[in-house]
Amino acid sequence: MTASAEPIAIRKIPREGKEESQFQIVLSRFLRHRLAVAGVAVIVIMFVGALLAPYIAPFPRDAVDVAVATRPGPPGTMSSAGQVHLLGVDHLGRDLFTRLLYGARVSLSIAFIVVIVSEVFGVILGATAGFMGGWFDIFISRLVEFLLSIPTLPILLITASILIKTEAQLPLPAFVTGFVSWMLASPPQEANKVIVLIVILILLGWTGAARLMRGMALTLRNQDFVEALRAVGASNTRIMFRHIIPNGLAPILVNASLGLAGIVIAEATLSFLGVGVQEPTPSWGNMLSTAQSYMFQHPWLPLVPGIPLCLVTISFNFIGDGLRDALDPRLKR
Amino acid sequence: MTAYLIRRLFQMTIVIFGVSIFMFSLFNIAPGGPLTGLQQQQRRITPEERARIRAQYELDLYWPVRYTRWLVGWPQGPLVINGQEFFANVPVGCYLEATPEQGGGCADYVYLSEVPQLHPKVRSSRGILFGDFGPSTVVQAGQPVWDLLASRLWATVELQVISLALALIIAIPLGIYSAVHQYSKFDYSFTTAAFIGSSMPTFFFGLMFILVFTILAGQIQDMWAWWPTLPPGLREAVRPYDVASWLTSVQPGSPLDRFLHLLMPVMVLTIVSVAAWSRFLRSSMLEVLRQDYVRTARAKGLVERLVINKHALRNALIPFITIVVLQIPLFFAGAIVTETVFAWPGMGRLFFDALNRSDYNIALAFIYVTTILTVVATLLGDILYSVIDPRIRYS
Repeated sequence: MTASAEPIAIRKIPREGKEESQFQIVLSRFLRHRLAVAGVAVIVIMFVGALLAPYIAPFPRDAVDVAVATRPGPPGTMSSAGQVHLLGVDHLGRDLFTRLLYGARVSLSIAFIVVIVSEVFGVILGATAGFMGGWFDIFISRLVEFLLSIPTLPILLITASILIKTEAQLPLPAFVTGFVSWMLASPPQEANKVIVLIVILILLGWTGAARLMRGMALTLRNQDFVEALRAVGASNTRIMFRHIIPNGLAPILVNASLGLAGIVIAEATLSFLGVGVQEPTPSWGNMLSTAQSYMFQHPWLPLVPGIPLCLVTISFNFIGDGLRDALDPRLKR
Repeated sequence: MTAYLIRRLFQMTIVIFGVSIFMFSLFNIAPGGPLTGLQQQQRRITPEERARIRAQYELDLYWPVRYTRWLVGWPQGPLVINGQEFFANVPVGCYLEATPEQGGGCADYVYLSEVPQLHPKVRSSRGILFGDFGPSTVVQAGQPVWDLLASRLWATVELQVISLALALIIAIPLGIYSAVHQYSKFDYSFTTAAFIGSSMPTFFFGLMFILVFTILAGQIQDMWAWWPTLPPGLREAVRPYDVASWLTSVQPGSPLDRFLHLLMPVMVLTIVSVAAWSRFLRSSMLEVLRQDYVRTARAKGLVERLVINKHALRNALIPFITIVVLQIPLFFAGAIVTETVFAWPGMGRLFFDALNRSDYNIALAFIYVTTILTVVATLLGDILYSVIDPRIRYS
């Protein structure tokens, strides 16, 4: 046992080259994925635009310019006050660039809220189910199987359509409505409707994370370090939140990034079909929906919300792809 | 295997049951319903009128009774055994609710013996479990939902079968080629294109096709005279039209007209499937090509073509087939968006119209049918998986 002090001394020997932390390794591998980096750039630009929407938008969100020459008007149309509409005006004479910025705010907010809440929800449920086992595990697994075996799109459509038609008011504490209304940069009345949509998307969206985390927890709970933790007297809660969940977080991160793209598409699809975000709240989906009815005379209209929508979904997917490559230890070079 | 099948069938029943309860509660217990609109229209409505309207929509019955009547068409009245009525005096609903002054509760109960007169067998006689979805209320009022669905079924099947076949024909060679020539220029451009294709929203694809082949086709024809103008929607034209200089006066209703109308929706559906499937096949092919038995086959001196087609492809197709089988029921659901964009008169479009116009019998029937199809296809996929891959055993 005389050698027991040795390993401490070994660590102090300077290594050749610079030492890399786990994070740096992952980061450098992520940076090698050029399309993912481009994706990050696109998302950052969209995010800044969305965040600063109330400050950089040239017009108020719902300002209707009745006196504008043509409605819808092409990019570069002059407003009656002599200002330029960068991307033109829609059928009511509202500035499209302004609505695009606010729409980015709405679409991205919905995506981030839904993904963050449903991943947290899914991770906690999945980890508990996998770690505890027993009736709770059976219940969660069956519930996930049930939700995965029903056709999602028709169910989403019908639920959203009924709840939005009936003007359902969720009994929510004021701070939730306030927070969402700040996120959307729109009045609480509109935020309330969007929350209904968010809740529906969360209810169907947590299953992926739960299934992933349950699988991770099942393999992790039989490993030696968990045994060791038990031996030193760590509580179940501590083992779960400090050790199991952090260890299984890598695939969740990838799942969340791909999930962002999925939710942006889901929200856009619902809004496009008229059961998602409702006018006058702008979202890229409902902008496309109105664009569709005018596109025969004004072919540029669907491109205004369509191009950013595609850029964002493709970027989120590329980021997810890059993260997967960066976090997968099997590809370590 | 038998035990597994029995367990799966049991699970299927529970899923279908669960969906039916979910749907029922959504339509019946959720706020709103037929009375809300009525109350908003005319505020002064007597309790008797209210009760009559409630009874018309079976809202006077308690919800468990309503649910079983809706699901299996039972109870239609008291149980009759040898001409003797049983349970005739069981209250199954409340026709007229008592006012708070009268002490609340119910002023006039509906008893099981009164059900046959109050609610005769018209709306739904057999229950949705046996395929009786009742009549349509708005879209084509009075017509049985089942007939409506059946009349739209063919259009959806036509669209889906053609694009499924096309997608398979395109995706399989693409996936194989890309995997065999991994990291080649073709592989890079193909994987990037497929990646972008599978991450774009379907409806935007549809809009872009309409833009390029219908709206801007005139301008494009100024540059390239051969560029075709395709019809943007529906299944048949109303009057003769010109496609391009090389194809003029297409007669409405002719096979050529039908083919031209199919082109755009089929292209959209095919591209989406090809993008997803070829990527999947590429990765499963890459996995197989690393296996020892492929190296053995090469070591034996087999021709590369045989190694790929006989040894690698057959194994790579195993997971691919299950993915494709799982996709089949999603076709009915997934076509909602494409059919809406192209005004294609299929089942998905019918569902969407029904939703917009609050014809819930049709919407329910659609969901019910797609759920059953999905569950059955999932089971079929799993069974197929064990049939084509003997390494997989279910217990």
